[in-house]
Formats: sequence, C-alpha cells, structure tokens
Amino acid sequence: MTADHALLASVPILVIGAVLIAIVRGRRAQVALALGTQGAATALVLAAVAPVLAGGAPLDVVWPWPAPIGAIAFRVDALGAFFLAWSLPLTWLGTVYAVGYLQPSLAAGRNGGSHLALLNFTCVAFVLVYSVQNALVFLLGWELAAVSAWLLVIWDYKNQKIRFAGFNYLVSTHVGLFVLVAAFMLLHSRTGSMDFAAFGAYLAGAPPDRATIFVLLGVAFALKAAFFPFHTWLPRAHSAAPAHVSALMSGVIHKAGLFAFLRFTLLGGRPDEWMGWCVLGFGLVSAFFGVLYTTVQRDLKRLLGYSSTENVGIAAAAFGAGMLGWTWGDARLVVLGFAGGLLHVLNHALFKCLSFYAAGSIYRATHTIDLERLGGLARRLPWTAALFLVGGLAMCGLPPFNGFASELVIYAGLIGGGAGPAEADVALIAAAAMLAFVGAVSALATVRAFGLAFLGAPRDASVHVRGEAPATMRGPMIAHAVAVVALGLVPGLALGALLPVVGLFAPELGDARPLAVPGFLDAMAWPSRALAVALALAVVVAWRPRAGSATSPTWGCGYTVGSPRMQYTGTSFSDALARFFGAALPAQRRERLPKGPFPAGDGHVASHHVDAVERKMFEVLGQGEQIIQDTSSRISEQPRFAFAAGAIAIVVIVAVAVGGGP
Amino acid sequence: MTALLVVVQLAALVVMPVVVVGVINRVKARWAGRRGAPILQLAWDVRRLLAKRSVYSDVSTPIIRIAPLVVLITALGSALIAPLTGAGALVGFDLDFVWFAYVWGLGRVALMLGALDTGSSFEGMGAAREATFAVFVEPALFLVAGALCLDGGTLRFAEALAWHGVDGGAIVVRVACAAAMVVVLQAELARMPVDDPTTHLELTMVHEVMILDHGGRELAALHAGAAIKLYVAIAVIATLINPWAGPWTGPWAGAATPLVAAAIHLGLCVAIAAAIGLFEALPARVRLRVVPTYLLSATVAAAVALLVVLWRTA
Repeated sequence: MTADHALLASVPILVIGAVLIAIVRGRRAQVALALGTQGAATALVLAAVAPVLAGGAPLDVVWPWPAPIGAIAFRVDALGAFFLAWSLPLTWLGTVYAVGYLQPSLAAGRNGGSHLALLNFTCVAFVLVYSVQNALVFLLGWELAAVSAWLLVIWDYKNQKIRFAGFNYLVSTHVGLFVLVAAFMLLHSRTGSMDFAAFGAYLAGAPPDRATIFVLLGVAFALKAAFFPFHTWLPRAHSAAPAHVSALMSGVIHKAGLFAFLRFTLLGGRPDEWMGWCVLGFGLVSAFFGVLYTTVQRDLKRLLGYSSTENVGIAAAAFGAGMLGWTWGDARLVVLGFAGGLLHVLNHALFKCLSFYAAGSIYRATHTIDLERLGGLARRLPWTAALFLVGGLAMCGLPPFNGFASELVIYAGLIGGGAGPAEADVALIAAAAMLAFVGAVSALATVRAFGLAFLGAPRDASVHVRGEAPATMRGPMIAHAVAVVALGLVPGLALGALLPVVGLFAPELGDARPLAVPGFLDAMAWPSRALAVALALAVVVAWRPRAGSATSPTWGCGYTVGSPRMQYTGTSFSDALARFFGAALPAQRRERLPKGPFPAGDGHVASHHVDAVERKMFEVLGQGEQIIQDTSSRISEQPRFAFAAGAIAIVVIVAVAVGGGP
Repeated sequence: MTALLVVVQLAALVVMPVVVVGVINRVKARWAGRRGAPILQLAWDVRRLLAKRSVYSDVSTPIIRIAPLVVLITALGSALIAPLTGAGALVGFDLDFVWFAYVWGLGRVALMLGALDTGSSFEGMGAAREATFAVFVEPALFLVAGALCLDGGTLRFAEALAWHGVDGGAIVVRVACAAAMVVVLQAELARMPVDDPTTHLELTMVHEVMILDHGGRELAALHAGAAIKLYVAIAVIATLINPWAGPWTGPWAGAATPLVAAAIHLGLCVAIAAAIGLFEALPARVRLRVVPTYLLSATVAAAVALLVVLWRTA
C-alpha cells in the first residue's frame, strides 16, 4: 500500500468505526472499536506522513467526486504532515483518558457510544483539514470539527450551564465560519475556482484586495484558535466540557486555526511588512490579556483555557516575527520565527493536555475544580500533583521542560538583531521583554493554582476526596509528561521534524535559510540536561525527611485558633496584580462592611472577575439601541463629536473608494 | 580563559556570597551605631543550621524539602553564567541570559511553592508578593540584556555586560542598565526599599516570611542560595560600571593583567555591598502598594538604555 492510499484509507476506517460504535451496545465493544479504529488510522496516517516529515516530496492525491465539487485534491506537505503527526496520536491518548474519565457515568448505564464516535469524527476532521486543497471540503472538515467539538462539550447536557456554554461556543464558531466563507467567496469570485492552488496564484500576485482577504482570514482563524478578543467562548466551553474534551479542544482541535493561518500565509507568498507587525502585535496582545486573566480565575479549567489564549498568542508572535523576516529577506529570522512558533504549538499541545487531564483527575476525585474550595490534594493525589506540576512548570516556560525550549527559539529570533532596520530590532527586543512579562505572570498563575489546589490543608470540609485516578487516566498523563520532559531535554527531536516545515516558508531565500537545528539549542540543551540531573538528585535526596526530624503545626504567627478556611485565598494571591491591571481585569465587588465601633449584623465581601470582552459584548447586544441613542444625542450636544465622527466617516469612505477597487 | 582565572572564579563563588552579606550587615550595623556581626557570620549560620534537625509543618509534602535545594541549585546555575570576576563567565553560550532569567524564575517558583506547602496564610502573602514583584522586574532584565546584546553585537551575557569601548553613549547605556539592575536586585533579593529583611512584622515581609517554617538544612540551603544570588547580582552590576571588566575590551587593555582586573572587580563588588548597606540604613521601606510603580522604574531605565543603543546604531 502506498502512502497516499494509507492516508485516504484512514478516513473510511474512522467513519465505519464511528458508525459501528454508535450501533453496537456494550461498553467494552465500543471502547475497543474506538481505540482500534483510531489506532489503525493513526498508524496509517503516521506511515503516510513520516516520509514527508523526513524531507521527502509532498503527498499528492486526487479523489474524483461527483458535482458540484469535482475532483478533490489532497496534498500533504510538510506543514500538514507536522500537524497530522501529533494531532491523531494525542487524540488517541485523549480517547484512552476518556474511557477512564467517563467510567462513572458509563457504569451508571449512560451510553458513551456517540461520544466515542464523535472523537473518531474529530480525527476525520483532522485528516480533511490538514490535507485537503479544496475550499469546500476544507469547510466541511472545519464544520465537522466544530460540530463534533460542540457535541463533545455538552456531554453533561442536563446541566443548563453546560448547554449554554455549548451554544455559546457553537454561535461563536459559526460567526467565525461566516467570516471564513466571506473570504472564500471573495477568492472564488476572483479566481472562479475553489482550489487552494488557484487562491495561491491569485494572492501571490499581490492583488489590491489582499489586505481585505488577509484580515477576513485572520479574524476567522483567530476566532478558531481563541485569540483575544475573540476568546469569549473559550473559558466557558473549557470549563463546561469533560476534561479530555477541554484538553483536545485547547491543545489539538483549535490548533487548526493556526494551521490554516500558516497555510494561507504560504499561499499568499511574501507578506507585506504591515502583516508581520500586525500578527506580532496581535499575538502579543493575546498573550498579555490571556495571561492576565489566568491569574484571577477560581475555576481551574477556565484558568487553563485562558492560558491557551496566552500560548496561541506567543506562537502567533513568533509567526509574526517569521513573516517580518520573510519580508526583509532575513533567512535567520524566518527560520527561528516559524520554527519557534511551530515548536511552541506542539509543546503547548503536550503540556496543556497534561494540565487539563490533571484537572480532570482532580474533578474525578473531588467533584469540584473551584480552587478556593480545594487544598492539600498533594498528599491525597500524589500522582496528579506531580503530573500537574510538570505541566504547570512547562506552561510557564521554565527549564528544563519543553515550554522553555520553544520560548528560547522565539527569544533567539526576537533578540538576535540585525534583521531589519535598527528601529525594528528595538521593537523586537521590546516584544521579547513583553514575552518575559507574560512568562512571569504565568509563573504567578501556576504557583497560585498549584499552591491552592495541592498544597496546604483542605479548605472545605464538604469536599470529599476519593482515590487517585485509575490507570486509564494516569497512563495518558504519564505519556504526556514524558514527552514534556523529553522535548525539554532533547528539543532537537521535534525540531528535526520541523525543519522541513520551515523550509516551505520564504522559498525565494533558498539555501540562505539555515535549515539545521540551531547550534544554540544544542548548547542550551546541555545546561538543561545538567539542571534536570541536579533537580532529579534534589528530589531523590530530599524526598524523605532525615532521621530525627519532627513535625509540628504550621506557625500561625500568634493566631493559634485559625481554621483551614483562614489559609491565603486565590483572590488575595492575585489581588495586587489584578488591582494594578484593574483596567484590563474588571472586578465585581459586592460588599457590606461592618460599620461603627460595635458593628451589628454580619458583613460580607464577595469579589468576582468577569471577562471584560464578554461583558462588553453582552452589554452592547443587550443595550445596543440605548447606546446608539445616547451617542446620537451626544453628537448634537457636542459638535466636536459630530465633527470627529464625520471626519472618520469621510476617511473610511475615501479609503474604501480608493483601496477597494477591483 | 586561563585555568588560574577559573580557580579564582570558583573561589569567589564560595567566598564572596558570605562576604557581601557580611559587609552589608556590618555597614548597616555601624551606621546604626552597633558593632555588627562578624563578616563571615553567614558561614557560621549555615554550618550551625546544617547540624540542626528540621521541623516540618504537619501539612507539608516533600516539596518543603526539595524546594530549598532547587533554590540553591538555580542560584549556582545562574552563577556559572554571570561574570563573577568581571572577565567572562565560567560557562558561556549564545542566549545564556535567557537561561539566566529563567533559572532565576525557577528558583523563585520553588521558593514560593515551598512557602505555600506549609498552608500558612502569612507565607501565602509573601509568595503572592514575590510573584507580583517578579512580574514587574522580568521585562527590565530582558530589556537590559537585549540592549547590551544589540550594543555589543554578542548574544552572551558576560560578553555583553563587558565594555566594548568608552564613549558618552556607552556610559549612558551602562549607567541606565546598572540603575535598572539595582532595582532588579532589590526586588529579586528582597532588599530595601522593596522589602525590609530585618522587619519583625510578618504582615509586611516578602522574602523572610516565605521561609518562616523552614529550618535546619532547608533554611541553610535557602540562606546560601539567597547569598549566592545576591553576589551574582552585585557582580553583574559591578561589571556594568567597571570599564576594566573584561581585560580584552577595557580602555587600558593589557595594562591590567587578568588577575589584577579580577581583584579590581572583587573590590568593586565589596564596595557595592557597602553601598547597599549604606542605602538600606537610610530610607524606610516603601509602602507595598507603591512597590510595583517603583519597580517599573527599572523597566523605564532599561528602555532608556535600549533607546540610547538605537540612537547609537542608527
């Protein structure tokens, strides 16, 4: 069987598997079918893409199809191969985890068949989106992923909140779809074709509407990948979904947005300079706001969701740097930007799935992921604690874990200097400082989350902790943790597979691009390995207390009657930061403070951080008419206002008239 | 670098942390009219603590024992990259300053986790402050490193810190960077005016409150780690303000042998320690609310340095 057959064969295997899963009764048969068909499809796809990733020629398949689609071209180049190579195996691991995670509901008689079948369909969507060269089939795969994800999210559909989160996601993702369809229609009207090749030929000619198409596609893909400010569906969906669905959505499924962005970057050819700056700036804004929101969440899965917004932002910033390098003809920046961003995408998939799985393990044991109610779990769930810590440290990009390796490549691109004009060097260094800021805030969020959930004493006596996660859940977590450590110590492993992908960008620079694992990464891997050995030794040496040591209650600084409720809270932990960035992190406070020297009655304080974008959105939707009325009444009161509005309108009209021509 | 210089650096790594802490405390004591502890007091403290048995909080996990070792390891790791005696570092590779910043970050995370492991609300308070302050100094560190790398045309921390010629622009850049690094030092090492290491009120402590429940060898490791980090930070600042740093680039290159240059550098480190002691004796700690704003001055100073570099290259 040739590689192209292997790739195409995976689709019917997955679809037939899904149908059979939905038909058969019996949990064991369903699980065996899901794992079997997904495993077979994964093996086939890996066999098909391995030669491409090793630097071989791209895989071209044409599938004849009835009208109106006609022949569908599939093409797995290195970019698609890279995404396929980890999306399917990680989904398989997620399915294994799902078997353990859903076990209580399945044992109670719930039929999990449709859920497992949907996971199969998610894999089908990957194969379609990452390989197809036809806009209609691409949209089909895109929709398949979106609808499957929606149905996976509402597993616990009896809960109204979860249904709301699901619909919220469904609406948001379709708003993105409209924008995407608009872009495709525009391209279709110009080219008369639905083939990506025709789109590419059109875009590469730098037509006047390239900017419009770039912005439309950018918005659609940003919505898919949950960039700020298009992220509002994400925290709700991630907090409502079962842990493996959150993990797969955040780590794997929504990476399709970044993939599609890179696909169209490739099709468009050498980007304009403003595009690179735009992507870099947009990525940094996303990273900044995403990470700020991670610091104030009570719900652990919401926190991890916002962290996804942060991490796609970091990856996009790297892509922006790579695009700038392409514009300037700087081969080094092209390689470091795109390699760093892609490596970060993979690393994020690994550590974010791990963190979500650990959160799911907490939920399985305690039935809550409210950080303010947890505490002291490290002694009850030692495996979960250790695995969450590995994921969390990787999440803040600390050595010797994999997050550090990709951030390092990105820093190398930003700080290297000598790329464009001197002002650009300075701007890139400022971007690096921004990433450092993001890293530090992320460390705060991780320490806060881990400390609240796992350290100290249990905060809420009503939370009962059942046992550690079963082997089906622990296995995938351990596999992810091993990958997180391995890619931290041997980043060349993944980077080797990545360089053919990077080789697709800026082809006009040819051999100038240093397509080898950069030397500094080797140089840096050794200190990381030494650090890993030292840390391992520290763990071994200090694991057990020395003979003769004693235990005693924590010193209460004089307050000896404290209860576990008096431990430091998560809200207090991030209070100083949240106040400093109060404009970005609006807090709702409800309080009745005791008054007078002898206060009568109870006082209370409740503070709660809402998503500023979501609140604004609903405000505008709910009071749209009112807002327009207020604005229009203000215009007549304030002539300056009317003048400014008129000037803006004229500028827009002129811009459209001049720039929007055929 | 000669083998002798390596030996000197290793010796400095062992001796100087104790000395700088001793000098700071001695100067503070003298300024306050007290006689002060011996210069080598820290060494005796560590020895005494190593002999003591530990008492662990009853809610704690192995993290309370591992975290102090991680703090010590990361401090040593950062020392390998820093220009301990002015003339290059023990280990140098491209982009080692990223490693430097992130290793410090790892140490900080370990310290905070060790504090939270006790479940004490006071230690939680300290950890929260430490994490918040770090947020405001981290960009400054990268701006400093980026500015110096752009100016020096190198990606190695120790080489970038060394002087590459003495002119007006270079002096402004290095003074601005040194000012930024002083603020970074005050935040990272919890010195005045960000934190008062001698305060006795837990509510206002940052660094000291995080180690309240540590004892025995854990406390020894934390003290040693903090002292090493302090020396590393001082050595970085000393390199920034010392035109002789790096015998290959100084204005009187060749006039000072590497050993003499190292001696000058170590003398400068002691002088900076004394200056810190003097400074700490004068003002009171600023209010905690004001600290983030104060720390932002480091970012501003580093940004000034970066803009001057831009002006120099443009």
